[in-house]
Amino acid sequence: MEPELRIQKLEKSFGSLKVLKGIDLEVNAGEVVCIIGASGSGKSTLLRCINLLEEAESGHIWFEGKDLMDLGTDLNQLRQRIGMVFQSFNLFANRNVLDNCTVAPITVKRLPRAEAEALAEKQLTDVGLKDFIRADSRRLSGGQKQRVAIARALCMAPDILLFDEPTSALDPEIVGEVLDVMKRLAGEGMTMVVVTHEMAFAREVSDRVVFMDGGVILEQGAPQEVFGHPREARTREFLSRYLEDI
Amino acid sequence: MSKLRNYFEKDRRYEFLTGTILAALCVPLWAGTPCALSFLGADGVLLRVLQAVCALFAALALLALAVKATHWRGYAGTFLKRPGMVKLARIFYWMVVLAFALTVTDRLALSLIDTVRGALAAEKNPDGFIASMVYMFWNSRSFFWYGIGVTVKIALLGTAIAFLLAVLMAFLRIQKPARQDGDLVRFLKKLGRGFAHVYITVIRGTPMMVQALIIYYAGFGLFKGSGMTVTEINRVWSFFISGLFTVSLNSTAYLAEVLRGGIESIDAGQTEAARSLGMTGWQAMRRVVFPQAVKNSVPAIGNEFIINIKDSSVLSVIGVMDLMYATSSVSGIYYSTLPIYCVAALLYLILTYLSSLIMKGVSHKLDTQARDLPSSN
Repeated sequence: MEPELRIQKLEKSFGSLKVLKGIDLEVNAGEVVCIIGASGSGKSTLLRCINLLEEAESGHIWFEGKDLMDLGTDLNQLRQRIGMVFQSFNLFANRNVLDNCTVAPITVKRLPRAEAEALAEKQLTDVGLKDFIRADSRRLSGGQKQRVAIARALCMAPDILLFDEPTSALDPEIVGEVLDVMKRLAGEGMTMVVVTHEMAFAREVSDRVVFMDGGVILEQGAPQEVFGHPREARTREFLSRYLEDI
Repeated sequence: MSKLRNYFEKDRRYEFLTGTILAALCVPLWAGTPCALSFLGADGVLLRVLQAVCALFAALALLALAVKATHWRGYAGTFLKRPGMVKLARIFYWMVVLAFALTVTDRLALSLIDTVRGALAAEKNPDGFIASMVYMFWNSRSFFWYGIGVTVKIALLGTAIAFLLAVLMAFLRIQKPARQDGDLVRFLKKLGRGFAHVYITVIRGTPMMVQALIIYYAGFGLFKGSGMTVTEINRVWSFFISGLFTVSLNSTAYLAEVLRGGIESIDAGQTEAARSLGMTGWQAMRRVVFPQAVKNSVPAIGNEFIINIKDSSVLSVIGVMDLMYATSSVSGIYYSTLPIYCVAALLYLILTYLSSLIMKGVSHKLDTQARDLPSSN
């Protein structure tokens, strides 16, 4: 079966700093892949390259059979099916919760407003924010904001969801409410690529864990393998810092 | 205001000091000549009573000062701190406040009303400074109304046109070539960027008076070159139109920078989020970034309007019949200088102050930060 997402020899540098040194990665439909690694190892950059928020210098990103790196590809078309959730939520500050979710379906997919709102209400209810539909998006707590962001991404009915450290800006007490939503999505068969420092989550939910270091994928495999018997010394060193967690 | 009220109503520490100062302020006012409307007169009974009250209070205050000097530590135990005495001082104090209020009303407010009344009825320009201001303003009011109309029209229309042009200019300035752009698009984008940069630099780097002269004569020359007669040119390329042109083009440069700042102040993450949802760069700008940028720019746009009210005064050099032009004309009619320019200053101040009040209201509604009266460009 053709993988949903196939990345080949992806390279990216910021100025003279080489951040991605040839990444090869495949993600199958319905798979949950967690990318772990130290800060600066290129995890977030890789994720941002996948929907071209960062432009890689060379390599290929095939998504549903189309190469995103090909200049002729209609990026806006493909991005509709690649949802993204950011560390800093990035809600639209000028719109309330419901409008945050409906603006893209209305402007991009040309859905009628009523239909978009019904869809948004369903997604917001599913993430437990039924009572906040008309709330000012700026006045929500971090956990609520992130759940709105997830509902907003889901409103475009994406085939794959990218999470860029979705809980790193949250305090430990409310990390759980976001992780619960993500677990539910994983259970429903959503294809997900999650950059995270939540090792317990990675271990419990993911189908595959990818360990990145210095711009390359050092090791990947089933969570019990990577967490239980890491092959590389660097992986062991990194994971030892999280031992208490898992 | 509430601070002042609190001081007079509750704070009793400086009762003697405040009362003495008010009483002292009355002295020069009493010395002035009373006007026709005066109820105190030059030596009426009421005036004598007020003077007596103030003198008695001053004496009491002096006594208190002397006691304080000799009984610095034991002041609380002196007769001045007995309840009856404290009450008496308080009553006296309020009588002094009343005396001061009456004196100010009589010598200042009523005098002003009398002056204005006299000036309005005068046959020729009176000698008094304020009377002359009132006389000239009233007798040339049609000039001033017309001038104010032109000034407000130019400032309003100019700012509105400038805003529309500034939106285009700001977009020219911030656009970047995208990866799929061809060579021609890339070149055009760079050209637009360069043009906006040069335009903003030149306009902001030259005085508006010079711009007004250049635009007026350039336009005149252009129409002349097309074979029109001077009468025809004056009809299409009037002073007003070329003045409006100048203000619009001038404000465009400033507002473009305001909008650019507004757009750049919106967190880039919101654009990324919009793009990640499949919106095009243009959709993200229109639906998410630009509305926020404009909202945040409202106070600065209001400032630009107020600046235009003031700075359009330089347009009188090309003959735009604005408030400044009206002032100069009236100055010529009466051979008057200082009083008439004070009239102009007062009128400009009223215009800008009213505008800033309106802007504050708008900003408050929009939940943004209003600023004080801005400085000129």
